[in-house]
Amino acid sequence: NVAGHYISPFHDIPLNVDSKEEGGVPTKKARNDEDENLFHMVVEIPRWTNAKMEIATEEPLNPIKQDVKHGQLRYTANVFPHKGYIWNYGALPQTWEDPHQKDKDTNCCGDNDPIDVCEIGSKVLSRGEVIHVKILGILALIDEGETDWKLIAINVNDPEAERFNDIDDVKKLKPGYLEATVNWLRLYKVPEGKPENKFAFNGEFKNKAFALKVIKSAHECWKAMMMKKCDSGSINCTNVQVCDSPFHCTPEEAKSFVESVPRSSPSKESSIEEQMWYFLEK
Amino acid sequence: MSSFSSEKGATSFTLDEKGQYISPFHDIPIYADKDVLHMVVEVPRWSNAKMEITTKDPLNPIKQALRYIANLFPYKGYIWNYGAIPQTWEDPGHSDKHTGCCSDNDPTDVCEIGRKVCARGEIIRVKVLSILAMIDEGETDRKVIAINVDDPDATNYNDINDVKCLKLGYLEATVHWFRRYKVPEGKPGNEFAFNAEFQDKAFAIDIIKSTHDYWKALVTKKTDGKGISCMNTTVSESPFKCEPDASRAIVDALPPPCESACALPSDVDKWFHPQKN
Repeated sequence: NVAGHYISPFHDIPLNVDSKEEGGVPTKKARNDEDENLFHMVVEIPRWTNAKMEIATEEPLNPIKQDVKHGQLRYTANVFPHKGYIWNYGALPQTWEDPHQKDKDTNCCGDNDPIDVCEIGSKVLSRGEVIHVKILGILALIDEGETDWKLIAINVNDPEAERFNDIDDVKKLKPGYLEATVNWLRLYKVPEGKPENKFAFNGEFKNKAFALKVIKSAHECWKAMMMKKCDSGSINCTNVQVCDSPFHCTPEEAKSFVESVPRSSPSKESSIEEQMWYFLEK
Repeated sequence: MSSFSSEKGATSFTLDEKGQYISPFHDIPIYADKDVLHMVVEVPRWSNAKMEITTKDPLNPIKQALRYIANLFPYKGYIWNYGAIPQTWEDPGHSDKHTGCCSDNDPTDVCEIGRKVCARGEIIRVKVLSILAMIDEGETDRKVIAINVDDPDATNYNDINDVKCLKLGYLEATVHWFRRYKVPEGKPGNEFAFNAEFQDKAFAIDIIKSTHDYWKALVTKKTDGKGISCMNTTVSESPFKCEPDASRAIVDALPPPCESACALPSDVDKWFHPQKN
């Protein structure tokens, strides 16, 4: 954070970009409609890259790490015509898709992760970057039988951000992008030998108003988890900023967690998985 | 594995196995083996910087043209390893009977479709599969489709139908890309001969043979190449052949390259979504 203390990107970054909460100092500034739609996003995967980076929800202070499967670093396949991820991909902090609750729209339990975001602005962002986004819509992916909502958002600093205010603007100004998004999410695990994913609402995108409701409910689930009002399972809730939380720790304790973790230097070699282009049957 | 190598950097000269400077345009043999061609990789797949063999400079180094190719949605950069066949030349003095247009004064271009992302300046060996007759800004600009002989699947690729069957959508995407890739720069879409259909390997090999013949006429001074530099170190029948010392002197006399002038612009990541009409 700004004070140079280690924090959790899952629990300690405020969900809302809100002058009331920034720096923890309350102000009297009234929130307007635009503020209602300003959120922090933690960037996990820059557009056009393949390494499957994630907030490690089960580790103290939830560092962003490359996912490992069967002992190997995980790379998402390039499904033709795409290269890597087709948006900057990440998560909204302070949200949680509760695996013990069945979502009424998808009829599936949550995927035990923060809610995912696909950021559609023109800049390729950096891993770990925390940005401000406007929410535009949401897609109800059912990934391997779990609810896995995908928010569509745009970086408020994008040169064209003012033109994007709801899901229809994406359809108009970036034709083909939403169709490509559904296609990508449907097929991205097929090269690993998994079946195509499914969607609720026939793969249709819901608008901003709907998306904001989903975010609100995922935020409530997170709050309940942090106050130990529900079973957090394997999630590590250690945090530095959520003062009322029974999982709260001091900055010094946070530092000692970080220092006790062995650090491996990142591999610089381009993996063959990052080069392979999969041409799937239509 | 190729015995040729190239220097790193914005201007890249080619070296032979003895470490002597050669021209990638004139000194790399067109044929590596029966039905196998050499290819000079100019642009690795998925990158944007427009690198080119500079036909007008002595020893024809590969240089970054001061332009980059926009990302045409849904693609990122170039969608194949892109480059040129050495010892070929599309003679602008001839009007192609299929396209009705004069040729583009460059070596014949290749799109290599194997899985590996090659390196800029790499010289690889490829099998020819097909050819597309593009007309780029009114000039014939043919695109050979080929595959790296070292690709693990190379034995499954022997003609154009193999690409159609095994890499669904790739050829259509290739036409789409070439048709529109200059639109973000404000230029019109490109056209094609043969209704944008890909011709088979036999046709492609025939075309390559003729552009090789045009090149032979160029380096033996039977055709006036005007601004083209024909300096070479290996073509014995060429009046432009020079000694290794002379080629070394050319390279040494150049001013140091200006790397910053060739930096990619900040909006190179922008994704161009063509608006539907």
